[in-house]
Amino acid sequence: MSGKETFKIWAPYGIKWTDWVRPVPFIAIDNNLNNEFYDFSIPSINYINSLKRDTAFIIDLPSYNSIKEGIALAKLGYRPIPIFNGTNEQLGVISTTNNNIIGPALVWGALELKNIVLDNNTSPVFLLDTNRMNRRKMDEGVFDNSWDIYHQDLPTYKYFLDNGINKIVIRSNSIQNDLNKILYKFQKNGVKILFTNGYDEPKEVILKKPKKEKF
Amino acid sequence: MKLLKIPDEKFEDYRLNAIFDCYKWDPQFEDNNTLAKYVLVLTKEEHEEIKRLTELIDKETIKAEEFINNNLNIAKPLALPKKIYNELRKMKNYDKNKHIRLMRYDFHPTTENKWAVSEVNSDVPGGFAEATLLPKLANSLFNNEYSFISFGDILTSSIEKKVIPNGRIMLVHCTSYSDDRQVMQYLGDKLTTKGFDVIYGAADHLRFKDNIAYSILDGKEGKVDGIFRFTPLEWLKDIKPKNWGGYFDTITPSCNHPIAIFAQTKRFPLIWNALEKNGIFLDTWKSLLPETIEVKDSKGKDGFIFKPACGRVGEKISIKEACDNEEYIDILKDVKKHPKAYLAQKKFISKPLVIDDKEFHVCLGSYTVDGNHAGYYARISKTPRIDSNACDIPVIIEGGII
Repeated sequence: MSGKETFKIWAPYGIKWTDWVRPVPFIAIDNNLNNEFYDFSIPSINYINSLKRDTAFIIDLPSYNSIKEGIALAKLGYRPIPIFNGTNEQLGVISTTNNNIIGPALVWGALELKNIVLDNNTSPVFLLDTNRMNRRKMDEGVFDNSWDIYHQDLPTYKYFLDNGINKIVIRSNSIQNDLNKILYKFQKNGVKILFTNGYDEPKEVILKKPKKEKF
Repeated sequence: MKLLKIPDEKFEDYRLNAIFDCYKWDPQFEDNNTLAKYVLVLTKEEHEEIKRLTELIDKETIKAEEFINNNLNIAKPLALPKKIYNELRKMKNYDKNKHIRLMRYDFHPTTENKWAVSEVNSDVPGGFAEATLLPKLANSLFNNEYSFISFGDILTSSIEKKVIPNGRIMLVHCTSYSDDRQVMQYLGDKLTTKGFDVIYGAADHLRFKDNIAYSILDGKEGKVDGIFRFTPLEWLKDIKPKNWGGYFDTITPSCNHPIAIFAQTKRFPLIWNALEKNGIFLDTWKSLLPETIEVKDSKGKDGFIFKPACGRVGEKISIKEACDNEEYIDILKDVKKHPKAYLAQKKFISKPLVIDDKEFHVCLGSYTVDGNHAGYYARISKTPRIDSNACDIPVIIEGGII
């Protein structure tokens, strides 16, 4: 399946929330030379058992695990929205972050997703790779393709509220700084932020005030 | 100048093709689609006029920057960051014939039925694929009735003239940003078809020895024959790559060479009087750029807005009706705290184009490469401030081949 075909399944035109699907890993699909071993078993979801119209999720797990969990949540009725935004290194170059691993998982996810019927107005589940923050360089010659998620990559708090979403659940091992920065503003403006480690029920959290950016 | 609507039934494919075939990897910004549902059409006469003005203004910019480079004593009002200022003395060996000079001037139609220029993107203008592939795609929706300028062809042809055949070119950018990579990937793919060995690297992947650039990127080490820099110069200062001063006196062909900083700062007009006293005339600039003064001199004067000296994509410009209240107050606070980091500029009244009972303000970016007009990159916005929430719009020209 080509990148374009895969994208069309994840981001059907004119359907709510799908404008936010980030194209970057889909474009890379057509040049993917990945030989990694993948485990495409669909996990069971313990922290929620039905669709909640007032709740969106952000699944922030290492590697392609959020895609698997996104498909599991799609089976509960949520619309998975991949917002991976990392680029790949050139052939022969050593990089900080394995963004290349996402493409084949999106193809797998598309094959699953096309058999799931979703309501056009359902709640979204945004998918992220925690490994985006791997930016430790072994030496200065390494290509840094780590990445952050920014406010422009997500709908505004106003859009969420206007569309009946007043709770966002972060499903992760911890809350990453980039997400904290975006969601702090959401929380200040009336969106409840909850956290789950995947085992416990989501609980409301108070986010730290982010430090001022240098540039 | 007019807007043409892309037929609704064709927009889905247009968006998809823009993403996958035209390197438009950022089609959404917060709640806004960043691809216009319209095409901007210039008449042949408008195109000829903008081309003429662009080449005239560019000639003045190039003369001015060369003069400033040899007379740094007049550069003080530019208030460049100290770390950059300290490196400028190294640029005495600058030879414009060895480097590629790329700029983009932002034109706006005004209610006086004239053009205003709001700034020149002198250091690292972007929008390459939007100025090359998007008009081609748009033209195909209208039976190829229009013409367009292929910016990418003009840029790569200039690079071919200055960099040795099959040479190695590093595309220097912020490697963590896909928005930067999409610009570099378009250019890299284009240069690869011309036989160049393209390396994607960050500013600190270059070292300089005897004024020649060398790559230290793992797997791509060795001499570099050309530098294409997309990391803004003032960011280099903040990122602090080792040996970054090497960019200033390198003889490796560069686009852009750091000489670009003189016109990049929006405080450039504040030294025009000094330039004119030395025989460098800026008549075209003066006819197009609204009056620009120091922040302190705008006290008590009506109709001025504040702009950051190192601003990009319309950020931190104090156009009240285009900012939310919190942002506007923050800008004014920052201006008060750092007046030298801003300038005051007479606000021009943008004349919007009307289509489907909606008004759109236009920013028409007009490129030059080595002094010659090289095409267009345009954006439209519902507000007079054209910022990150604006939409990219392809520019096509009435009539056949130009």
